[in-house]
Amino acid sequence: MGWVKSPIHKRAHQNKRYNTATMLQFKLVLLGDSSVGKSSIVHRFVKDSFDEFRESTIGAAFLSQTIKLEKHPDVTIKFEIWDTAGQERYKSLAPMYYRNANAALIVYDVTQPGSLVKAQSWVEELKNKVGDQDLVICLAGNKVDICDEDATAREVQREDAQLYAQEQGLLFYETSAKTGAGVSAIFQEIGERVYQKKGMEVPSSTQARKPLNVELQRPSTNDSTSCCS
Amino acid sequence: MQMEDRQESPKSQSALVTEPADIKKIKSEDFPSQNDDEEPFYDFQAFVKLMKDPRADPIVRYTRSFLNNFVTKRELWTSEEQRKLVNDFKVFVFDKLTLYEPFKSLDAANLLNAKEGMEKLIMGKLYHKCFSPCLKSQLNVLDKGHKLDLDHDAMLADKREEFRFIDPQHLEINDKISSKLETFTQLSAKELGRMNGYKAPRDKMVCALNACRVIFGFLKHLKLERDGADAFIPLLIYAILKSNVESLISNVNYIERFRYPGFLRGESSYYLSSLQGAAGFVANMQVESLHIGNQQDFESKYHANQDALRKERESRQPSDPHKNASIPREPYGPSPSDYILKPLDGATNIVLSKFAELFSPAPASPQGHDAQEDVEGHDDITRLAQEMEEKEHARVLRELHAMFPDMDQELIRDISIAKKYRIGACVDVLLTLSS
Repeated sequence: MGWVKSPIHKRAHQNKRYNTATMLQFKLVLLGDSSVGKSSIVHRFVKDSFDEFRESTIGAAFLSQTIKLEKHPDVTIKFEIWDTAGQERYKSLAPMYYRNANAALIVYDVTQPGSLVKAQSWVEELKNKVGDQDLVICLAGNKVDICDEDATAREVQREDAQLYAQEQGLLFYETSAKTGAGVSAIFQEIGERVYQKKGMEVPSSTQARKPLNVELQRPSTNDSTSCCS
Repeated sequence: MQMEDRQESPKSQSALVTEPADIKKIKSEDFPSQNDDEEPFYDFQAFVKLMKDPRADPIVRYTRSFLNNFVTKRELWTSEEQRKLVNDFKVFVFDKLTLYEPFKSLDAANLLNAKEGMEKLIMGKLYHKCFSPCLKSQLNVLDKGHKLDLDHDAMLADKREEFRFIDPQHLEINDKISSKLETFTQLSAKELGRMNGYKAPRDKMVCALNACRVIFGFLKHLKLERDGADAFIPLLIYAILKSNVESLISNVNYIERFRYPGFLRGESSYYLSSLQGAAGFVANMQVESLHIGNQQDFESKYHANQDALRKERESRQPSDPHKNASIPREPYGPSPSDYILKPLDGATNIVLSKFAELFSPAPASPQGHDAQEDVEGHDDITRLAQEMEEKEHARVLRELHAMFPDMDQELIRDISIAKKYRIGACVDVLLTLSS
């Protein structure tokens, strides 16, 4: 259905010919074990971005937030963030959420090695069911603030997770929802990556009346081996 | 639930993007009636009035012709054909609305209302062909899609009986959740059940969102809102499991098929998917799906329930083939024919019948209206709409009094008025006050 794949073109100012801006709406699905703080990351993101925050009308399982891309100031991205239940027994519901997603943020807890295993199984499932041509996947190790206070608390080494992400072609960040470290960078990077994938297909924004093909197409260059950290 | 074929036809995609959508527009479309801050504009009677304008004749004729073709060209379309036909027509006619007066000169909000009105009009007319429970009598000739809806509803009902004894802990519902759990999940389930009273996909969707909002109101009260889906999904499943909402899966699939994709975005889309997932979870529930602390205790409860069920099923009268074990007997639950004959949205039905001549095969001209008759018709409708509204307000007050027996009745009334009798929003405020 047309909930995410329709690029929205917005004329920024009165001058139709020159001052055009692009607004893209992306769906991001949030995956990870129930204790890793995935909801907290999103709350932090939504709270820290000052750009027109709107309280969701129903509840915190669905949030949306708009950001401007740092590298493309004329591009505005509206993230629609779909939270999923992290408990193992509700795993079967996940396909209802990740269908048609443009990005997936998979979160683990750097103090809980088991949560990385779970995160890896999500990566596999997404690659099998959705395919990473159509999906930007980002792996995030949360709760680094605990390690900053007590280095022995860390159970997952940054290098190990990073290497895994590299091999799988995922974006990788370590974050702290508590301090905010890494949080806005993640959404910037995901936004940038999805824009690169989708932006190509977005025709000139002055052509809004023309029928558009907004199907997500496979990118011509395969950049899935590159990794950002 | 269809996972395939979710891509819309290129035609409708293009229609979506050709709408002059700015940020504000997206918001208003996301949420026609749920947002308390921006008062939504949704007035079916206003749409009907526009349709009676002589200049609307081309639109009326397009609509009439579509409805006639839909019901006469074939006895029964498959669910996927129906989805496509209805969607294609909406794409087509929404485009036409921008070409003909009185729609052409409407502002964005009124044009949106006209589109909503059009969807409500055509789905009201086609409901008996499109909503799977209405097709039960044609079971042997049904296509796979409609049949699966009915099968899944029956599965859900069976599982509800099989696991009706389970406790919150079996679903890993947070220990902090208090004794009020039953009250809130029952209220949420009641809102879900109200979907059966409406024909328009939007109206059904509003019921579903209300149900979710009640759950989130409860979570906010417990300060568990921040847990997001981890806290929400188990409660939604619990509400579905402990309720006797009929035809839940048919309703959800109906919304998904016939709600215009441009309207089914953002939050609506999220909560519809959650409902689909939760209903699917219950319909496929196994002992392994549950968190079982004490195996022995669980087994004895399970077997005791099985015995009880067997007895209940034996004692049920076998005379009525529709009342088999898979259909829960609920005091207020409508039987299949009631889905057509007694819609809660009676106001809509009167409105529809009042200008039914526009959509009857006979070449009736909308210009030929007797002005006097129009006025009377309009009065009827207004009176009925008022009655319906009063009934609804009384219902909301009743529910709230039952939920908050210690609360001052005047206060509940005042809050209900302030919150326009939206039960989810009222519960939110009352919880804040009571804590």
